[in-house]
Amino acid sequence: MNGIRWSYAINQWKPQFDDFVRREQHERALKTISIAGFEGVELTYGTGRWEPLGNPQQLAANFGSVAGFRDFVRGCALDAVSSWYWDPAERSMEHLTGPLSPLAEADVPAIVARATELAEALAALGGSVLLVRPVGGAGDVEPLDDDAIGRLAACWEAVGRATSEHGVRTALHVDFLSALRRDHVPRLLDRTDPSLVGLAVDTGELTAGGIDPVSVIERSGDRVWHVQFKDALAVDDAEEYLQPHAHWTVRVRGGAREVPRWFAEPGVDGGLVDFAAVTRALQAADYDGWIVVESDQSPHPAASALLAGYLVQRELRPLVEGKEAA
Amino acid sequence: MVWTKWSYMDHWVTETPQGPQPPSFNRAYMDRYVKQLSALGFTGFDTFFFYLPLYAGMYGGVPGFERFLQDNGFDKITGIFSAYPSATRYTAPHVRETHDRIVADCENTLRMCEGLTGVENFIVMPTSTHHQTEPVTDDTIKVVADLWNRVGALTLQHGMKTTCHFEFWGAIRTREQLDTFFRHTDPELVFFFCDTAQHTIAGVDPVQMFRDYSDRCTGFHFKDTKNVDEHEAYRTPPDPELMAPQVTRWFYEMGEGGLVDFPALMKEIVASGYDGWLTVEHDKAELGGGSYAEATAVAKWYIDNVLAEAEAEARAELETAR
Repeated sequence: MNGIRWSYAINQWKPQFDDFVRREQHERALKTISIAGFEGVELTYGTGRWEPLGNPQQLAANFGSVAGFRDFVRGCALDAVSSWYWDPAERSMEHLTGPLSPLAEADVPAIVARATELAEALAALGGSVLLVRPVGGAGDVEPLDDDAIGRLAACWEAVGRATSEHGVRTALHVDFLSALRRDHVPRLLDRTDPSLVGLAVDTGELTAGGIDPVSVIERSGDRVWHVQFKDALAVDDAEEYLQPHAHWTVRVRGGAREVPRWFAEPGVDGGLVDFAAVTRALQAADYDGWIVVESDQSPHPAASALLAGYLVQRELRPLVEGKEAA
Repeated sequence: MVWTKWSYMDHWVTETPQGPQPPSFNRAYMDRYVKQLSALGFTGFDTFFFYLPLYAGMYGGVPGFERFLQDNGFDKITGIFSAYPSATRYTAPHVRETHDRIVADCENTLRMCEGLTGVENFIVMPTSTHHQTEPVTDDTIKVVADLWNRVGALTLQHGMKTTCHFEFWGAIRTREQLDTFFRHTDPELVFFFCDTAQHTIAGVDPVQMFRDYSDRCTGFHFKDTKNVDEHEAYRTPPDPELMAPQVTRWFYEMGEGGLVDFPALMKEIVASGYDGWLTVEHDKAELGGGSYAEATAVAKWYIDNVLAEAEAEARAELETAR
């Protein structure tokens, strides 16, 4: 990768499992991403017949092959699938497996195998980063002691080693519900080989978790392998992330405050992230890679993509290009 | 060279807490609307005459609204669309006695545009509905033509060309009627505005229409349709565009498999030497669950990826022919 490239995450178009399954919907979404000024698209792992873009088997089933999907993406005037987000706790109907845990040593071979499949497909699609959810939610796993951190490090190093054979980097994506929120992230990073495992900075997740993304970049800039730009509309300052099943009770339902929407596209009214400051911090860290813009569920996906495109075109890309020109 | 003069016809509807509304619902909605158009690369903005007082109120005058557009990357307001689609006792283009009132109304609209950078087109629907006007005779068309000759002279004094946008449900709709109208109007005063979908629905080939009237053409609405009016919907009161029983949605964005041959039109435009604005319009894009944002994005994608190629081919052909 040479320089910063801009991509957009397609997950905002799919509010729930049996929406956004038709080919023409995908085509219109990809064209919207393209004309908004992005050159790549980020996929989110999914499984089963209503997830045509969810995994390599579904791509092959729907487009003839992974290469067939690559042609479809390029036909919509996008260069590449930049990246793929995968949580091993998601079951796989294609493999008939349940949730896999990176804390369980017995699951590691299957996790590595699954990551390898994704990385192989991603490489064929022009992508370079597999984002992984490194561990479950804080309310869903035991507190992470040194031994647990060691097991996580071993798992993701094994994954990183496997994906790198396909030219794909493995980046840890820590969300605001993660058991790795707060000071666990540096502990895990410190235990992993920097040539095998990197960090995905998600501005919205960090901010909702009460963590300044700029400080993360300043502290761990040399480990940042992937960036997601999404805005946060609220902060979990009551630490509701510690509750069990917080994915539904907090992330989806909004917790005790019933936050209607934690996240939105960059630049949204009321957004808490200073994207110019984050961009400057990335430049200071000599970041070189994809910046994937997200809304992470939007009532108006196309509008979100265009509004994000406006911010990138008029404010953020000029910052980057100014630095690169200098 | 790639065509840079793409404008957007202000016909957008957005979801608000009060249901679907135009973005003029409030300034925050306007901000988001204009930013989306800007992100797509539109640099011209056409709007309706009835929005001008609203924008003047929101931005301290229509020039203030134009400055807001310019702050977001637009060149200027490019066209004002005026119409009397329903004939009344006061305004009916086919009734000569109402002409003074229509001209006065146009003067009011023109006054609202004072201080703008340079609106180029004063776009008009030449007639009211067909069912209110019929029978449409040569004499009827002559009366209508006389009105727009008067308005054309007036708007030129304000630097704008009066340009006629025909509806499939208007009283002048067939190729023969169009030819009659243009024969009766002064080519120095009255111009042609080509709405690709409206002509197609009426059974008129917009590409041929442009080919024949390119010297009088001052603008386009690039929009598509999937239906020709085969059931005389145009004669159906009260509103064939919204209430025809056979067709619930007439208009579609480009690139959705409609009937208009846009690449052919683009090549014809390049070959003609036309160098004005090309305008994208959507009309009822929300029908069937669609969104204006996505419809506009898909249309602009089509422009940048399909029409740009047609344009390049046409320019190469011109170069070869030189």
